[in-house]
Amino acid sequence: MQKTAVKRSVDMQIIADWVAPGSRVLDLGCGRGVLLEALVQQKEVFAVGVDLEFEKISACVRRGITAYQGDMMEFMRSFPDGHFDRVICSRTLEEVSDPAAVIAEALRVASAVTVGFVNHAYWKNRLDALWHGRKPRNDVYTTSWHESRPANPVSIVDFEAFCAAKKIRIARRALLRGDWKTPCVFRPNLFAGYALYDLVR
Amino acid sequence: MNDADTIDLQARLEPGEVGLVEARDFVSTETFLFESGQSLPGFTLRYETYGHLNAARDNVVLICHALSGDHHCAGIHALTDRKPGWWNNLIGPGKAVDTNRFFVLCSNCLGGCQGSTGPSSINPATGRPYGITFPFVTVRDMVRAQKRLLDSLGIPSLYAVIGGSMGGMQVLQWGIEYPSYVRRMLAMATTARESAQGIGFNEVGRQAIMQDPEWNHGDYPRNGGPRTGLAIARMMAHITYVSDASMDRKFGRRRKSVAENAAYSFDVQFEVESYLRYQGESFINRFDANSYLYITRAIDHFDLAAAYGSLEKAFAAVEAETLVVGFTSDWLFPPQQNRDIALALLRAGKRASYAELDTDLGHDSFLLESEQLYALVRGFLR
Repeated sequence: MQKTAVKRSVDMQIIADWVAPGSRVLDLGCGRGVLLEALVQQKEVFAVGVDLEFEKISACVRRGITAYQGDMMEFMRSFPDGHFDRVICSRTLEEVSDPAAVIAEALRVASAVTVGFVNHAYWKNRLDALWHGRKPRNDVYTTSWHESRPANPVSIVDFEAFCAAKKIRIARRALLRGDWKTPCVFRPNLFAGYALYDLVR
Repeated sequence: MNDADTIDLQARLEPGEVGLVEARDFVSTETFLFESGQSLPGFTLRYETYGHLNAARDNVVLICHALSGDHHCAGIHALTDRKPGWWNNLIGPGKAVDTNRFFVLCSNCLGGCQGSTGPSSINPATGRPYGITFPFVTVRDMVRAQKRLLDSLGIPSLYAVIGGSMGGMQVLQWGIEYPSYVRRMLAMATTARESAQGIGFNEVGRQAIMQDPEWNHGDYPRNGGPRTGLAIARMMAHITYVSDASMDRKFGRRRKSVAENAAYSFDVQFEVESYLRYQGESFINRFDANSYLYITRAIDHFDLAAAYGSLEKAFAAVEAETLVVGFTSDWLFPPQQNRDIALALLRAGKRASYAELDTDLGHDSFLLESEQLYALVRGFLR
């Protein structure tokens, strides 16, 4: 639990570094508003979060973070082109049924989109599947197959192929090793545990 | 008061309750110009307060009531009262709207009939009730009248304005009309634009009243008038405040015990009939039929988008931070109408959150005893 919290703060710092001070930031799948709170404190952004659960919104409100309970696609469709400066999908795309549509809509309502995900092709995950013959479990996919939510795991190779096919420009990337801290340069699809991308229109 | 009374009182006033409260009257002697262009030489608003105004005068929470509500939203008037004020579950020491911290104020709206000036008030020019010669009232008129009350109390700003249903409409109007005065808006189970369905229900209620011969074009004596029509209006309206699921749970098809031959008559057979008749009967003893006409009309006319050009333009000047709460089973002001408020505020560049509670109690869910709702409200008022 504590290990995960430390990991989380590392990826939050990279995301924060990419956010322009005072910009309008939309966080899809904002959870309890921890990331947005950090961005408000560090970068004085105008923050809005979207999540599906009442308890998450309630926690955001308690933190003073503006949050909307509802479907992220319906939410984004309610805004004109470029209303936000940046959309953040931190460990969110794996949860949605149509990631391509979410990214396309995010790139419509914002000029930049931050995507962060657990690299499904990380060697430990491969080992889980190949050697143990079981569904990978890690810091994000912490549950067994029978208790997990529907998920749509993605690897670095998958994601970059998708961006190439959709002609989405990757402005920045941060590929981190299994500790989610040290930059990973050698064969990232095998050795990176976490990937962050900064997409632009 | 002797000692025995004091002990009795303390036993009755549990910790966490506002306890005994008294209504007060604010009398404005300045001319009040209504949106309709009509005017009154002055008016009275009846109101209650709970908690204490702090030295900085920055802890005021204004509560706005719905169509059939009034200024008595917490505490009791007498130890023999069967029920406390209508939002007593939310307001009190240590409760979500904490009267240890906030100075809470609620007034009966202009056009009402619980002590504020309305159609049942005496027109000084004629010595008789105004009836339908009373000026047409809008939600904005209600808010502007309340502002006079707050000004008279020397209140420089509002920490928050809170209301559900028509109270939520007043909340939005407050933030629009007095942007720098309102720091937080909390609107529940409401809309920025009364829908055709809502107007339709209001019209059926009004017709029930106006088709009652006792209505007599609004000219009827106090304690008289269209009692049958008003009761029917209330019976119908009550159905719109609940839901299929909650009525089924509360009444199902349970029958009153009736004589065997009564099964083939139109006397009360089902518990739901009996309950609605009771609701109608108790309403006519506390509500004025003409007020019902005026206030439902004020609700019908509420359309912020039309009044300001668009909803975004309506909210352009808002400075308050907003929380809108919708309820899944509310079919009078459905979740989408509540979402639309938050979305328009966000498009206008304002801070507005939207939360939705999953309940099956219908429109009246905002009055629900719900720890989730309390935690949300408490968090927003942090």
